[in-house]
Amino acid sequence: MGSREPDDAAILRRYGFELDPVIEAYKQHVDRSLLRENLRRTPEQRWQMITAATRLAEEMRRAGKDRRGG
Amino acid sequence: MAADLGGIVGVLADAGVEVIVIGGLAAQAHGSARLTQDADFVYRRSDENIARLAQALAPFSPYLRGAPAGLPFRFDPPTIRRGLNFTLTTAVGDVDFLGEMTGGGTYEQLLPHTIDLVVFGRTIRVLDLPALIRAKRAAGRPKDLEAVAELEALLAEKEGPR
Repeated sequence: MGSREPDDAAILRRYGFELDPVIEAYKQHVDRSLLRENLRRTPEQRWQMITAATRLAEEMRRAGKDRRGG
Repeated sequence: MAADLGGIVGVLADAGVEVIVIGGLAAQAHGSARLTQDADFVYRRSDENIARLAQALAPFSPYLRGAPAGLPFRFDPPTIRRGLNFTLTTAVGDVDFLGEMTGGGTYEQLLPHTIDLVVFGRTIRVLDLPALIRAKRAAGRPKDLEAVAELEALLAEKEGPR
């Protein structure tokens, strides 16, 4: 399997990286639309979003545990 | 005081601790959408910086992650000087402080491969994207390779034609 984007290999080679078949296989599942959205944000905005998502995940875990009687 | 892991970056910056943000937090700074549960840093191993690190972290009750409770562990300058890489649990979450990173080396060796970011009003050093990819490739664990796939896609998005 190759990269989704034909230019990826040339860009990677510019930085001294060779294509790795395992990484290329994982790359098929990368949601690039999500990355493009993220790249429009500042690093600070990205960390704020991640912090909020982490808090939500922790709260969901806690709620699930409570429901299971844990 | 830092209420979460993001805040600990500010605490370290305010205390003048020389660290480089690596791992998942660095990946997020570069645009990664993956969640991370810990914060990873490479710290400078000078005596002055070790003293600043120990003092800055003390309010967060650092303890060896995964170790049994009650060990006489203190994250103080003698302990830091005796060791190198520390995987810690703290009051605000899990934090790793590495004196040397696989695939990257020491603070001084990584410094040319960092970018400065202004986050929460502080300037912090973050490992640049190619160096982060190199380090994750060197680590070679399945979870790292999965992360590399996203980081390489990010590199292509940043450098390729839109």
